[in-house]
Amino acid sequence: MGIDRRSIVKFLIGGAVGSMFTPTPWILTDDISIWTQNWPWVPKNIKGVDAYVPTVSKLCPSATAMLVRTVSGRPVRTMGNPEHPLSGGKISPLAATEVQLLYSPSRIKRPLRKASDGGWKEISWTDALALLDEKLGFVKGSATRLAVISGDQTGTVNEVLSGFVASMGSKQFFLMPSEAQTLARAWELMGGAGMPGFETAGSDYVLALGADILESWGASTRTRRAYCEARPHGEVPAATYAYVGPSCTNTAVGADIWVAAKPGSQAAVALGLANLLIKAGATSSAPDFAAFKALAARFEPATVAQLAGVSEANLAMLAEGLQKAKAPVVIPGSEFGQGGSVAAAAAGMALNLLLGAYNQKVGLRAVPEFAPVVEKAMARKDVMANDLAAYMQGLAEDNKARPEILITYEANPVYALPGDVAGTVAKIPFKVAIAQFMDETATMADLVLPSPLGIERYDDVATPAGCGVAIYCLNTPVIDAVNPAANIHGGDVILGLAAKQNANLGFNSFKDVLAAKAKAVGANVADLTAGKAFVSEAVTGAQPSLAAEAIAKSLEAKAPEGAYALAAVNKLGFGTATTAVPPQNLKLVREFELAGTLMYVHLNKATAAKAGVAQGQKVTLKAGDGKAIPALVNISEMVMDGVVMAPCNLGHTAFDEFAKGKGANVARLFTAQVEPGTGLSFWTQTGVAIEKA
Amino acid sequence: MEEKRAHNADTGGQCSVLGGFLPFGLGLVLSLLVGWWLSPKLLFSEQSQPVAFNHKIHKEEAGMTCSDCHYFREDGSYSGIPTTKECADCHEFPVGSSAKEREYVNKYVKKGQEPDWKVYQMQPDNVFFSHAAHSLENCGKCHTDWTEKELCSTSGCHPDIGDSEAPPKYSENRITGYSASTMKMWACEYCHAMPDHRAYNANNNACFTCHK
Amino acid sequence: MSGAQQSFKILWGMAIDLDKCTGCGACMVACQAENNLAPEKDASKKQRVMNWLKVFELSNGKPFPDHDTAYLPRPCQQCGNPACVPVCPATVTKKDEEGGIISQVYPRCFGCRYCMAACPYKARYFNWYDPEWPQGWDKTLSPDVSVRPRGVVEKCTFCHHRWMKAKDKARVAGNDPYDLPEGAYVTSCTEACPNGAIVFGDLNNPKHLVHKLAHSEYAFRLLERLGMDPQVYYLSRREWVRRLGNHHLENEKTGEFTPLGGGHHG
Repeated sequence: MGIDRRSIVKFLIGGAVGSMFTPTPWILTDDISIWTQNWPWVPKNIKGVDAYVPTVSKLCPSATAMLVRTVSGRPVRTMGNPEHPLSGGKISPLAATEVQLLYSPSRIKRPLRKASDGGWKEISWTDALALLDEKLGFVKGSATRLAVISGDQTGTVNEVLSGFVASMGSKQFFLMPSEAQTLARAWELMGGAGMPGFETAGSDYVLALGADILESWGASTRTRRAYCEARPHGEVPAATYAYVGPSCTNTAVGADIWVAAKPGSQAAVALGLANLLIKAGATSSAPDFAAFKALAARFEPATVAQLAGVSEANLAMLAEGLQKAKAPVVIPGSEFGQGGSVAAAAAGMALNLLLGAYNQKVGLRAVPEFAPVVEKAMARKDVMANDLAAYMQGLAEDNKARPEILITYEANPVYALPGDVAGTVAKIPFKVAIAQFMDETATMADLVLPSPLGIERYDDVATPAGCGVAIYCLNTPVIDAVNPAANIHGGDVILGLAAKQNANLGFNSFKDVLAAKAKAVGANVADLTAGKAFVSEAVTGAQPSLAAEAIAKSLEAKAPEGAYALAAVNKLGFGTATTAVPPQNLKLVREFELAGTLMYVHLNKATAAKAGVAQGQKVTLKAGDGKAIPALVNISEMVMDGVVMAPCNLGHTAFDEFAKGKGANVARLFTAQVEPGTGLSFWTQTGVAIEKA
Repeated sequence: MEEKRAHNADTGGQCSVLGGFLPFGLGLVLSLLVGWWLSPKLLFSEQSQPVAFNHKIHKEEAGMTCSDCHYFREDGSYSGIPTTKECADCHEFPVGSSAKEREYVNKYVKKGQEPDWKVYQMQPDNVFFSHAAHSLENCGKCHTDWTEKELCSTSGCHPDIGDSEAPPKYSENRITGYSASTMKMWACEYCHAMPDHRAYNANNNACFTCHK
Repeated sequence: MSGAQQSFKILWGMAIDLDKCTGCGACMVACQAENNLAPEKDASKKQRVMNWLKVFELSNGKPFPDHDTAYLPRPCQQCGNPACVPVCPATVTKKDEEGGIISQVYPRCFGCRYCMAACPYKARYFNWYDPEWPQGWDKTLSPDVSVRPRGVVEKCTFCHHRWMKAKDKARVAGNDPYDLPEGAYVTSCTEACPNGAIVFGDLNNPKHLVHKLAHSEYAFRLLERLGMDPQVYYLSRREWVRRLGNHHLENEKTGEFTPLGGGHHG
């Protein structure tokens, strides 16, 4: 019997029949199908023990208090902290992505030195600090050769930075422009004590004069809790919210009343309201009430209608609302959280005084400052008087002596300052960026020092801008730093440098500074360390003035040129100048906000008809001095007549593939001008031309 | 075709019974052998646990109970295998004289590392298993004769190793990467889809009862 | 399709007050972090972007200054009479569990996308790509939610894993897992919203606020006339918002319409 074809076929058939009586084919089919469900490149769940660790966001301007969920020590996400006044269990769209930002592709992982070919060279901390120490030796004792810019608005690190600047013989310590600075300057002009705060919890009429209080202004998560409390679900609200501004911002959407007003016209509206309130009998014991009354008298509703575009009926409605309210509050602010007019802030605060909403439970409150702990630190008043926009303009025009060294601490002036300061910054011989992400300023620096994220470090948060009560919180590291070479706090860097320069600030470590601060605040340190906030509802100071003289003088500011007014809008979801749009938050960008690399600017149908542009059309927005940005047109009735609305925080030229080259930077169109009477730069009034591209 | 068939019938006629069946039978037997004996051996790789953990000593000599290590946390989750930190409560230094314990202390406790335990009943990511739901308080309502030990092991979920002196071998499916004793859905449904159980909880065989 | 709706003792639902939503997007970010959604490099390609929860912008259609805007967060509506379930050829998606949350079992899905075509709320998303995270970011993923590969459909589950965890917590504490107090189980978006625009709870439980809100005179559901019977209610004191939510014809009175499908029991 040979092996013929037929026996092979029989053998195979036998094999096939036999295999049917074994589990193998069924198991293999099943196993292969399971195999296709578990590709090695799809991440697997990593189990562990849940813990929720309290901290306060240092990245988000809202200073939202958070709980970081960790799973066996691994950070997973942030959520609101129900026990904390800066959260109430809720979270801002930026703070909500803070854990993911630990692994942002833009994070700086180690010290970097700019090489001669323009590339980056990794260097050790020792070398980096030695280099900086050597450079600092050349500028010590000079009033002009060192400048420091801080992007932190709430931390005691500013005391360390300003103390260092002062002991190096300079006064050139600047904060990035913010509402805090505008309010502080206005409050100073009014002779107020402490810091001006606005309490909305318990108010029955909240008027936001430009300030985007439910989105980007101040400690917005806290403000929004008060908003929520006043509006029980499906019931008639217990408080009326009114928003005055050129576009229907998120605050305007949440408010009961949106009154359209031209960009930067807050002072005119406030004075118009003051006019009507005084006519109705409002008065104040302020020393300059007579002068203020005379000033307000110039702002008849018809005048306000012409200056601000607010109809007479709307102005009367707002005045009536304020007048009838039991606990009203008026919150003035820039539409996009910076560059606001000091006069407008003063006029807005004056309205609170006229309404008797001063140092009560609700309304304007003089919130005490916490005592400084770094002896050599500059006084808050002096820091707030330093005008960064004006300084940069001075440098650009060669009116001011150029510094030899510029240190930026978690600040991105190259992106965020009005106009274009890149050329001015480039001329500074040695630039040091202490930064978390590779932003525009870090990209231009000669030396980059990595900074840990808030959840990786010791830090603190003291009373955010405009907050109605004094709050102090201490942060302890929630997790070990994910980049071991990026684990030195900027405060420690500066303290070390100060010691080497024989400019000792009296502390060995930033942790010691924080311990001293906690003590100075009068808080229970154990409570603070456990994540509890110290809250003081006390108020300070006597009767402020109405700053009538300064406001009157400010009216001499030159009016913007250009056919259309530019309204910028700042949304926390789009990140800040120092974070850019976080990867997750890119999904918040709506269909008609960005198309590939071009962003949309928004104008209503009437304005578009006047400009001769159509939906989706490519245009160039032009401001004076050849400033221009490209954009697409979106016809939206959420913008008042004659106004073009554009979002902030797009158009980054640094960062990563998530943020880079998406849209245009609206700050390029701004021109800062020093306000007469108040002496601080403002850039809320920008005229633009719309040109078809 | 006609011719060929005739030729075959002619020559093969003599041994048609045996010769016709032999290749078929050979194939049949061989494939049965491969299917039942060889392929399970090829499909699974046998592995040892990283630590020769002795349950018996812990129970009998240290007087520990199961829930000393395998307990529920306050948030409702189940601790499963204790962490090195928990073991170090007793084993920061060797407490006995065994070489294996010394090795464990040196290799894991001192370095603060977790052993790469092979979990006999590891379920994939898309399964949510609630230990809290499968408790004697629940199952014991009707199965009054069950002990905790029976609940955990006899129903097929966990190997019964509570009294073992060394952990059994772990065998891993080379294709799927799952443990050989990972329960399949039909095994879960043995209870979940049982009509008797519907009275207790009308929806206990819904997809989301177990999947995530 | 049998047509008969399964009834549940517990019906998890939402009441979203559109007058309180300001469109900030905190809910969308919180959702992504909770449910392991990967970021997208070109998020302007809206056909490819996955958002289990998406905030839509609504307009009353009038020119400035009579214009009005509302924002509408849209999770999966967890319909009582879902369109997605009967069309699924692979039994991936079912409404069969106490609580009425529509399940989605990813390993079963082979990506035919019938359910996406069927869903009138566009609440379902297809994984066109394998999920991709920047280096190291995958270490922040939550262990509560499995990661979905390319080729399967996914959707909002009302953070179902949070219910599982809440039930386990109740069991260990000796409480009835099917009688959770209000707030013991809420979704990630509910928890995040700084305006408190989302209220979450058991629609069948009179002790839960959402039960009361669902019967509010301002309550409506999206495209209610389709008869999907969603478990997500919206509230607005603005009539135009309520009319838009159900695509009212001009001659129809608000809240009065003819249902098209079965299962309507408004």
